[in-house]
Amino acid sequence: MIEVTNLTVTYKDLVAVDSISFDVKKGEIFGIIGPNGAGKTSTIECLEGLRKISGGEVTVMGINPVNRTALYEHIGVQLQEASFPDNIKVKELCRLFSSFYKNPADYNTLLTRFDLADKKNAYVKKLSGGQRQKISVVVALIANPEIIFLDELTTGLDPQARIDMWELIKSLRDEGKTVLMTTHFMEEAEYLCDRVCLMVKSRIAAIGTVKELVEQAQLSQKITFISKNAKRESLEGIPGITKITENNGVFDLYGNGRNLLRDTVVYITEKNIEFEDLSCSKPGLEDVFLKLTGYKLEAAI
Amino acid sequence: MKAFVSMSVTEFRLSLRNFIYMFFAFVFPPMMLLLFGGIYGNEPTAFYKGHGAVDVLTPAYISMILAVSGIMGLPMQLAEYRQHKVLKRFKATPVSTGTIMIPHFVVNSILCVIGTLILMIVGKLVFNLHFFGNIFYFLAAYILSVMCIFSIGFLIAAIAPNNRAASAIAYLIYFPMLFLSGASMPLQMMPKAIVNVSRFIPLTYCVEILQGTWMGDPLSAFLGQIIILAAIAIVCTAVSIKIFRWE
Repeated sequence: MIEVTNLTVTYKDLVAVDSISFDVKKGEIFGIIGPNGAGKTSTIECLEGLRKISGGEVTVMGINPVNRTALYEHIGVQLQEASFPDNIKVKELCRLFSSFYKNPADYNTLLTRFDLADKKNAYVKKLSGGQRQKISVVVALIANPEIIFLDELTTGLDPQARIDMWELIKSLRDEGKTVLMTTHFMEEAEYLCDRVCLMVKSRIAAIGTVKELVEQAQLSQKITFISKNAKRESLEGIPGITKITENNGVFDLYGNGRNLLRDTVVYITEKNIEFEDLSCSKPGLEDVFLKLTGYKLEAAI
Repeated sequence: MKAFVSMSVTEFRLSLRNFIYMFFAFVFPPMMLLLFGGIYGNEPTAFYKGHGAVDVLTPAYISMILAVSGIMGLPMQLAEYRQHKVLKRFKATPVSTGTIMIPHFVVNSILCVIGTLILMIVGKLVFNLHFFGNIFYFLAAYILSVMCIFSIGFLIAAIAPNNRAASAIAYLIYFPMLFLSGASMPLQMMPKAIVNVSRFIPLTYCVEILQGTWMGDPLSAFLGQIIILAAIAIVCTAVSIKIFRWE
């Protein structure tokens, strides 16, 4: 659906995007994640035909985004921080955007689906932040798009509104639409995205499914339990465990492998090692980011 | 076409919801007319060279309406749209640049005409307003004035870095223009220095051709004014198109 080859964007002497390449497949949610200033918005705006490309090549459904008129019959966008005219009502806004397209989607259906049917006569600026963001998705969907671009859609939303939004985005994918989104929330990317592209300092640091990225980063899982009779030496035979620490009867075991938890439980059960409060924490995207960059994403925001 | 009409209708509605704009375009000029018409009446006087005060003031106040739409309404809308990335959002649709921009000019022109008609109706009902000119000459003068003033508004929108700057520039130009051009008070009442300053204010020439053609002068009597207004319109429009930024 989307192909990006060696895309470069420069502003005067600043390189915002430095020769990146990736592709987005039909029907997937593709996330570009990274700290502010990593080049996420510049990248997405090149795909939307809103920004000049300094180098490389971009096609969206085979169309060069410079060709706005052709492109926008197929895509719907939500722009970061963009708002709608002051004093416009929800209904008027929907009607206006419907007039822009040859085959617009029925906005009444969309408003109902997004739980905004009773807000039709409300002024857009009087809506809550979450409702306004929903409106911007409704407006993007009026285009009847095959691809939807969402730029920092959930930034500034409260946790409940964010989770509502996640379900809505998932439902779009489930009806066969392709979603390309940017975010700086790791949990959001983990929960929503089929594939993610980690952008750091204008470049792609890693790309793939969350699982692939975690495996590639070779991060350890951590298994913790409390035991009265375990000895460190007696645990060393567990397959896959590479490091063991003990503190007052609390054991932390680090290691890799698909069956690490099962192997551990089987091993300590066979050895008649007593254990309680056993838990296993798997590394996530946040840990991948930390390993690749040396800092936590949350700390960068 | 569907998009263009829809855009224009929406912009028209939104303008009607802008209280300050509506006050200065629809209410303030008739108020001025009622006030000064109430003082001077509409009987022929020597000061207005044998014409009634209301007959002379009405075309001047019409230029005041043009200034409100062109210098305040238009640039403030465009600057606001740019600052809040509304223009950018419209660009992220299949509509053409013209469909995004031209409705602003169309809608503000229509508001001008409505304001003008309100003023004329008030003048007619209260003071028995007279029109002495050729309607086609007057319309030509009106259209040229609109084009000139709107091009200045477009330039303000293009230059202003944000909507606060646009409002500041608009107010800074609008109010002095009003008092120094003869749009609100006849230049005959003003000292020589102000009359000299008025020569540098485009609205002065609008007042002159509107008042002149209203009173029955032919367009040919205003060749100088016409050239100046047309030149301003062309230069400002060209420069604005060149430097206008979408975000």
